[in-house]
Amino acid sequence: MAILNQKKSKVSDEIPTSSMADIAFLLLIFFLVTTVFPKDKGLSVVLPEEGVTAQVPQKNILHLIIQPNCMVRVKHGEAAQEQIEQPADVQGVWRQTVADNPNLIAAVKTDPNAPYKCMMAVLDALKLANADRISLQMLGEK
Amino acid sequence: MAKGGFQKRSKASSAIPTSSLADMAFLLLIFFMVTTTFPNDKPRRINWVEAKAAQKTSVKQKNILNVWMQKDGSVYINDQKWPMEEVHQYVAPIYAKSAKHLVIDVRGDRDVPYRFMDQLQKQLVAAGVVRVVFGAKLETQTQRERR
Repeated sequence: MAILNQKKSKVSDEIPTSSMADIAFLLLIFFLVTTVFPKDKGLSVVLPEEGVTAQVPQKNILHLIIQPNCMVRVKHGEAAQEQIEQPADVQGVWRQTVADNPNLIAAVKTDPNAPYKCMMAVLDALKLANADRISLQMLGEK
Repeated sequence: MAKGGFQKRSKASSAIPTSSLADMAFLLLIFFMVTTTFPNDKPRRINWVEAKAAQKTSVKQKNILNVWMQKDGSVYINDQKWPMEEVHQYVAPIYAKSAKHLVIDVRGDRDVPYRFMDQLQKQLVAAGVVRVVFGAKLETQTQRERR
């Protein structure tokens, strides 16, 4: 009986701490790898420098006139006729037109009362069509 | 002779020294604590515009200046409201200090009339800023159907 008791008391009743540092490092590395910070997203645009105005021949301009109701009046350069398009359809219009004229510039003219989201919808469509020459203007100014 | 040489060798410790492990861990911790920068302004409540072509702005956080525009056309920079005419006076020194690396993140409410956006762009051009990002949420398929 007494021998049996002695045998039992030899078993350690402490939690082993030698591997604690390893576990802590595993946790640290796990969170280092899995943490993702929210990144800001947006459409990047390069504004013109002050006082710089570029003269562009009319035939290279695709006029996109955004109306307050979000519809877009599309006018090709000096052509007189216009088409009314949805903002999302501007993507196709740009792709078609730029295939004929690689020097095309999109002139986005927004009505002062049109909501910002309409202009962003058109800008988004142009970006989706890989347009990089975009001019942002407000309607009614030279 | 041979036996003695073998005994001598076995005296060298084969374990990696772990006494400096904690120091190294703390150095790493302090390094990341010091180098991590968070945006210094609180997000304002705006209705974000959505864009499918929205891309991550791959610029260091300290080189981004958030300019918020609320539905009524009021402009907030660094948690402070700025009159439209004074925006370029505030932005120009920050832009100069960043050695022209500054990127303006324009975060406009989706329903703000465009004339305010145009005024803001003119202010930014007056401040000499070239690189602007129109902040937007990435548009997903479900959001598109709802609109």
